[in-house]
Amino acid sequence: MGPLSRILLLWTPQFLWLAAGVILSLAALEAGVALMAMSGYAIGAAVAGVLTLPVLLRAFGVSRVLLRYLERVTTHTATFRALADVRVWFFKSLARTGAGGLGFRQAGDVLSRLVGDVEALDGIYLRMVLPLAGAVMLLPAIVLLIAHRSAALATEIGVLFAVAAFVLPWVAMRASVRTGSGLAAEAGALRVAALDALTGLREVRAFAAEGRMLANVQAKEAGLFAAQQAMSGRTALAAAGAFLCAQLAVLAVLVDSGAHPAAAVAAAFLVLAAFEAISGLPRAGALAGHASAAARRVLEAADAPVPVPDPADPAAMPLGCGLRFEAVQFRWSADRPPVFDGLTLEVPEGARVALLGPSGAGKSTLAALALKVVAPRSGQILLGGTDIAFLPAALVRARIGWLGQATHLFDDTIRANLLLARPEADEVSLWAALDAARIGDLVRGLPDQLETWVGEGGTRFSGGQGRRLALARALLSPAPILILDEPCAGLDAETERSFLETLNETAAGRTVVLITHRLTGVERLDRIFRLSGGKAVAAAG
Amino acid sequence: MRQEQRAGRRAAKPVLILHVLGTVLAIGQAFAAATVLAAAFEGASLPIIALAVFGGLALVRAGLSYLTEQAAFASGAAARRRLRSDAMTRLLHAGPSLLRTHHSGDLATIVVDRIEALEGLFSHYVPAAAYAVAGPIVVLLAVLYADPWAALLLLGCGMVVPVGMAVAGIGAAAASRRQFLALARLQARFLDRVRGIATIVLYGRAQDEARAMARAAKDLRVRTMRVLRVAFLSSAVLDIAAALAMIVLAIHYFSDLRVASDAAFSAELWPALAVLLLAPEFFAPLRTYSAAYQDKLHATGAAESLIDLPPLPQPVVPAAEIRTVAARGVTVLFDGVDLIWDPTRGPALDGLSFKAAAGETLVLAGPSGAGKSSVIEILLGFVRPTGGKVTINGADITDLVPQALSRLTAWIGQRPVLFAGSIRDNILFARPEATAEEVAAAAHSARLDQFTEGLPQGLDTPIGESGYGLSGGQAQRVAIARAYLKNAPLLLLDEPTAHLDPATEKEVLESLARLAIGRTVILASHSSAAHGFGGRRLDMRDGKAVSARDAAKGAA
Repeated sequence: MGPLSRILLLWTPQFLWLAAGVILSLAALEAGVALMAMSGYAIGAAVAGVLTLPVLLRAFGVSRVLLRYLERVTTHTATFRALADVRVWFFKSLARTGAGGLGFRQAGDVLSRLVGDVEALDGIYLRMVLPLAGAVMLLPAIVLLIAHRSAALATEIGVLFAVAAFVLPWVAMRASVRTGSGLAAEAGALRVAALDALTGLREVRAFAAEGRMLANVQAKEAGLFAAQQAMSGRTALAAAGAFLCAQLAVLAVLVDSGAHPAAAVAAAFLVLAAFEAISGLPRAGALAGHASAAARRVLEAADAPVPVPDPADPAAMPLGCGLRFEAVQFRWSADRPPVFDGLTLEVPEGARVALLGPSGAGKSTLAALALKVVAPRSGQILLGGTDIAFLPAALVRARIGWLGQATHLFDDTIRANLLLARPEADEVSLWAALDAARIGDLVRGLPDQLETWVGEGGTRFSGGQGRRLALARALLSPAPILILDEPCAGLDAETERSFLETLNETAAGRTVVLITHRLTGVERLDRIFRLSGGKAVAAAG
Repeated sequence: MRQEQRAGRRAAKPVLILHVLGTVLAIGQAFAAATVLAAAFEGASLPIIALAVFGGLALVRAGLSYLTEQAAFASGAAARRRLRSDAMTRLLHAGPSLLRTHHSGDLATIVVDRIEALEGLFSHYVPAAAYAVAGPIVVLLAVLYADPWAALLLLGCGMVVPVGMAVAGIGAAAASRRQFLALARLQARFLDRVRGIATIVLYGRAQDEARAMARAAKDLRVRTMRVLRVAFLSSAVLDIAAALAMIVLAIHYFSDLRVASDAAFSAELWPALAVLLLAPEFFAPLRTYSAAYQDKLHATGAAESLIDLPPLPQPVVPAAEIRTVAARGVTVLFDGVDLIWDPTRGPALDGLSFKAAAGETLVLAGPSGAGKSSVIEILLGFVRPTGGKVTINGADITDLVPQALSRLTAWIGQRPVLFAGSIRDNILFARPEATAEEVAAAAHSARLDQFTEGLPQGLDTPIGESGYGLSGGQAQRVAIARAYLKNAPLLLLDEPTAHLDPATEKEVLESLARLAIGRTVILASHSSAAHGFGGRRLDMRDGKAVSARDAAKGAA
């Protein structure tokens, strides 16, 4: 429960709401159980002549309904508050630690999975904490109530209750932790099979492999289902076990009924209601195993070391905006070959430079280095003559506008997407940026103009239009240096040419680094470098 | 979706039957328990048989609950299996043109995650909906036997539930829908911001976004709770009905028994106990249903993305199953072919005509956007020409079934997709039934063995998602090995060296030249190195063939 308790700690600011939710939930549970027990006792009371019974019944009934309502409102408010806290915390941690190490390397699916893990934490309060608190309260209550008549019976029922409420859910949690990794592996295999077939749709059609690919997906799915079935079978066994505990407890009451029939009826109803209240716990246990694994992954991502810590004593920001790489060595990890091995490269202020090279030559890594997303193992990167290692990352990034393949269009309006680059930009500069990116006319033609929603990942626009919106955003940013990483990836040839022609005019006066695997001939450039063998070689213009 | 739910209801029938069987056994238990308790009041000896019945039925019910879970899982799995195969078939059939408009990762999400999200709908919601009607009716019949008056009361309270929910206006359904939608929106925003985190961080806007996120979450909470506070009133209807039934029944029996004579007491005791024990069973299916409603909402969101899938393939009737291929090779003829991808952008091919004779190598030259790739994509069957006629050995390409076309062609594109598996698996992809010797020969011919011999596991070296670990040149050699293994008479090469450095480009072109011997080859390339490949050259511009002189003029 280590990772789970750390998540619970995150909720400390909402303690009052959460606690109020627990108290109301316990009170509602108490009223519900009392109502049942009293209903059972009605018959005994008729014999014993207890006249207050109808009053008690009504009181418990009314409070049951009222408390349930208050419980629902309070626990949902508490849940919404806790959800928001966890998300904001996770986002801040990821922004600090991952800088986009992850986002920069286009690990969109890794991020999506992490978001799924955050989602898995949502049920902790409503589905685990509340029923568990209920069980903790009910155990001493029923034992004391029954011990009044018979200590032996109370012990029996107490043990059965503890098994159903604590032991079996714990077993289910262990099982779900154990099978959890197997389940994740099977789900991963299915994802790879589907992604393979869909990424390779061209290959699949060219080799008429549709049937084989479908069979492969079906086989991986069967593997996943087998693992899920094993898991669901274990949970079902735990649930059936808890059910048997409840039935054994009732049986114990029935066997013991001869001595105090009236008390026995009340006890039978009490036991039924109490066990009913905890019947979901084995399932919650299985869920806890799942949530605990999710919490571990979320915490790992949130606790990841800061890739490039800011200097404790930053140097003054230089005035110039030339970029210079000096003998830079870099590798993504120790077991991977170096990407750069003594890279030296000069981008003078105001120059337009192209960096060419095949995929894998480290073109995007170069952008990551300049933006302080990663740090070189040795060598220096100079901005206006000052080593960026001595400058705060935020200020370096304020100087450099970046348009990468992982540049994201947010599911928001065009205006909101543009303002990300310069929050104080006025209407005129927004339209100027859109016109510069050659998308102004298209936006003007839309009914909602700047308020048009761009859709998830910019899906309401075509790939080329989306890239132009992203370019408009980059142009809007006041940064004097623009690093454009494969800006034309995914554009057709015609759009590519017009995009590059736009760039020639609109980025005038700024330092431009164009990273691409080939030139089309329309770019206007001052220098061209080719990346090869971890070094930059000047190539003929 | 509706059709699926119908199929789901059929599949869920075993679950429903097991649920109802469980209720019948619960009735038996309630009667047995009532007998034991009644005997205790009468001071009679412990009725062993009733106790044994109670215990025996408990065991059976425990087993039944396990079976119900298993059946529910099976029903959910069957539905997911059907939907996934269906979605996958649609996507595979729609083919490569899908990749022009969709990211493969998003498509994979539909096939994997969205369909997994339908789990609860078929395993829990569908059976629970039927059980919410059948369960109470069965209990009611039992109560009718014990005490008709109580049955009437329960029926009344049971009816109050739907009526009350309707009167409360919004209903429990709307309540959970609002809550679910609010959560879903929060979730979507969060996912969107996390996926774009690099963009936010690099624009230095992480703090602002975190604040905005907190603000949005708060707004959402305030608005949602305003709705939920009203909506929960209707959820309270079920609570009120259940509590009311218990209170009225208990007070009724309490008053009756208190004033009853000894004889009447004996007669009324058993029914009173039985009815009180059965009342919770009456409401249990309704509770199960309202708990499962969340599953339905979860699934409805996921199902929306399934509706947009491309249509299912019509079973192909091979109109004139092509008299496949003459032994001599393949002749390709383009006759006035038009192709329009997007009407707003003008044609990709505009009345293109050419002929590639059997065994000939034809090099399509010209700038990007001239239509070279479109020629290849038509020949691969990725797209149909908008006008004109394309024939292979005289047969119209639109008459060919995909399998027949695939038998004729081998294709090497700019960047081969390598699948998860070993290098061997990836070569075998071209022809799964090939022997080990054939694979080794293909690897040798593609000069892939020069590289694999240096690996400890040789051809069996695993390569991960999208060929992780292989360089562009090595990946292209795997594609060449595939083409060797397939040994098709028509070889289509689409910018095969576009992503390679000059040294690797030269080596790959040498391997391709060997592969070309004895085949009809169509090579699209704007690389000057490729033009040393030999063969006849066809210059293209704006989707048309142009003379070499015009092409030179255009380039100048």
